[in-house]
Amino acid sequence: MVVVVWGVVTITFFVARVIPADPVAAILGPQAPQDAIERERARWGLDKPIHIQYVRYISGLLRGDLGVSLRTRRPVSEDIKQFFPATVELGVAALIIGIVLGIGVGVISAVRSGSLIDHTSRVFAIVGLSMPAFWLGLLLLLIFYHTLGWLPGPGRLPYWYPLPPRVTGLLFIDSIIAKDWFALKSFLQHLVLPAFTLGWLSTASIARITRSSMLEVMHEEYIKTARMKGLRESLVILKHAFRNALLPIVTVIGIRIAYMLEGAVLTETVFAWPGLGRYATQSFLSIDFNAVVGVALFMALLYSFCNLVVDLLYAYLNPKIRYV
Amino acid sequence: MWRLVIVALLALCLTGFGRTPPDTLVIGARTGIIVDFDPARIYEVFTAFVAEQFYDQLVDFEKGNFKKIEPGLAESWEVSEDGLTWTFYIRKGVKFHSGNELTADDVVYSLRRSLALNFHPIWILAQYVPDPEMIKKVDDYTVSITTTEPVAELTIASVLAFQGICSIVDSKLVKAHATPDDPWANEWLKEHDAGSGPFKLMKWVREEIIVLERFDNYWEGPAKVKRVIIKDIPDPSAQKLALDKGDIDIAWDLLPEQVDMYRNVEGFKVVETPAWGITYVAMNAGKPPFDNELVRDAIRWAIDYDAIIYGIMKGAAIPGQTFIPKGMFGHLPETPYYKDVERAKELLAAAGYPEGFEVELLTTDRPDRVAIATQIQADLAEIGVKVMIRQMVGAQFYELYRAQKHTFLVAGWGADYADPDALAKPFAHCCTTGPDAKVRQLAWRNMYVDCDTTLLVEEAARELNSAKREKMYFEIQRRVLDKGPFAILYYPLRQVVMRDVVAGFNLAHMEYFTELWEVYKTG
Repeated sequence: MVVVVWGVVTITFFVARVIPADPVAAILGPQAPQDAIERERARWGLDKPIHIQYVRYISGLLRGDLGVSLRTRRPVSEDIKQFFPATVELGVAALIIGIVLGIGVGVISAVRSGSLIDHTSRVFAIVGLSMPAFWLGLLLLLIFYHTLGWLPGPGRLPYWYPLPPRVTGLLFIDSIIAKDWFALKSFLQHLVLPAFTLGWLSTASIARITRSSMLEVMHEEYIKTARMKGLRESLVILKHAFRNALLPIVTVIGIRIAYMLEGAVLTETVFAWPGLGRYATQSFLSIDFNAVVGVALFMALLYSFCNLVVDLLYAYLNPKIRYV
Repeated sequence: MWRLVIVALLALCLTGFGRTPPDTLVIGARTGIIVDFDPARIYEVFTAFVAEQFYDQLVDFEKGNFKKIEPGLAESWEVSEDGLTWTFYIRKGVKFHSGNELTADDVVYSLRRSLALNFHPIWILAQYVPDPEMIKKVDDYTVSITTTEPVAELTIASVLAFQGICSIVDSKLVKAHATPDDPWANEWLKEHDAGSGPFKLMKWVREEIIVLERFDNYWEGPAKVKRVIIKDIPDPSAQKLALDKGDIDIAWDLLPEQVDMYRNVEGFKVVETPAWGITYVAMNAGKPPFDNELVRDAIRWAIDYDAIIYGIMKGAAIPGQTFIPKGMFGHLPETPYYKDVERAKELLAAAGYPEGFEVELLTTDRPDRVAIATQIQADLAEIGVKVMIRQMVGAQFYELYRAQKHTFLVAGWGADYADPDALAKPFAHCCTTGPDAKVRQLAWRNMYVDCDTTLLVEEAARELNSAKREKMYFEIQRRVLDKGPFAILYYPLRQVVMRDVVAGFNLAHMEYFTELWEVYKTG
């Protein structure tokens, strides 16, 4: 894992610097005078040779310092701390939607294979996989916010309502701590559309893999045996078939968690959701060196962590798998 | 169980979300550009607009008239006979948000602080007042500022009215937050205000929300709304939806075609004004074929300006071909160029390019700029010039432009302060193309050397007689219009759309002069 992290940091560091673009000029704007740009470059140490910048960055990293963002002029770790909780909230809600709907639809399609429900759900899965998040987001806003008025628009709270005091950064928890029930209710209302937009992408892929995995298992001998034993069909499906079909589903869920940040970039922009996806986009666009490397490092750690959890779940789900 | 879940979801959906309260003005805008509220560092237009609500300066301009200087924190001023020393008499009884009284000490501290911190916007002040010792306290309510050379009243007023480096901060409050590592309290001022303006900065959560609250002891009287909330909505379509639903009162960043949808629609109004910006095509006069004056002229005659203004910008722009925009002192209202293919072909032939040539046109990936580049590509094809469009991100684009590595590009520029000097220097000041040039802006980047005009630009900044000065700017603009490295395409309009319950809103030519102090809601 150390090698992976070092590799990610090194590659991102050099790629960001090899691009023929000056982040200081981009951040100070097209009208800043040349001498001001040169002064600012020196202030950030960007006038030094690239290998010296690299050594400085790595030695800072070893002390737990991700550097300061050129764009926000704050430590990158502080920025990640500010923006990540909103993404966690959105991601968790989206994942719940993705898992519940995806597995539900997948199991039903498999059980009723060839029926109208199966065909409909497959069409939905294909549409879901091919629909860009920003388009779906805008469509949902247009229908449920603009036309029907059932759900609120972008943001995490009504625009005029002040945020409860920040304790964890997770608005769900912070509202409860502040006993601000209006904020909690509003937050949950605001969460529905972005979570569904982001969750939809996962729903489609989880449903697809659940269906095919279930179909495969349903033809196994032990399912026939269970049925011949006279077990109830629901028991056959849930206890015998589903449990054995779970392994590839868990893999897909693991991958979806990592992909969620990718989807979050667009979802967070459309829904004005102040998360890490938007921070990453802004950092990439302004070639904010430290922020780009910091976010890449953070993502690499997150990805590795997700893989670890999936591996551990394998062992739990299939006792034949043991790690030594 | 399922029933319970469905009931809970319906309850969540169908309960009210609330609308903007009548005493609160809610603006939906892209706030990602804001990185810092320390006045010594404020340079981005939107940051300056927000800071305008909580910081004041010594002088101001009459609403909608940037040719008329008005008192601000200074009630009056006078200039010495040699035109070098300006004496400002500070208004008595002005309170900062902390309750401290504003005195000459605060003025001296603020301006010296900006000079000492030496952040990138400082050139605006330092070009005339480079040394902190040139700013002196005469008595508790009098300050003198000496300039390195005589400067026109409008120029010095425009510089001192600049939102940011010339904002007056509460020196006692700032000093209380200074540390040995940070003697100017830069860290503290990034996220707090120390001003005397009509609103106080109560909360700023990056890329989420800015909350301003009325300051009841404001020296011009309290603002009409109690609170202003600026909500970050980066996507223009999402801003539009929020405006339609009444969740925001003003949408700040709608696209021109979205703005058009609100014209003559009940319940909404469109407010627009020329933004004192210039969108132009630049031709690098240091490289062939644009080192030939006739080629540059041919390009100016080949462009279909109307197609760009009315077709692409859809009315979010007004015609203009001189670099000082409409409404600013010194504006030359001449638009001689229009699409004349024959004339352009003749000029190209006379320049030695009867068959045309191939050239790369650089643009950023902004959709309007890409559309303009495409229009120019089509226009120039008619005179035999083959244009290859190359899109790139801003960081890459400006890197090339600043290094004079381009040949042909489309870009924009805005006035930094409310005086023609702010545009004459970028567009016409270049006597050498080397790194030793005094001003390395647009004329320099496009390697357009004209020492006579450069001298005239410097003389115009020093000229104290207003009528003479205006004529000098006319002359400078004519020279650049005829021979310069630019084809100026239009002046962009600044457009915002609001609910019709919003009243008293005036959009200034320079966005940072837009005050919310007199804005109120009728419902």
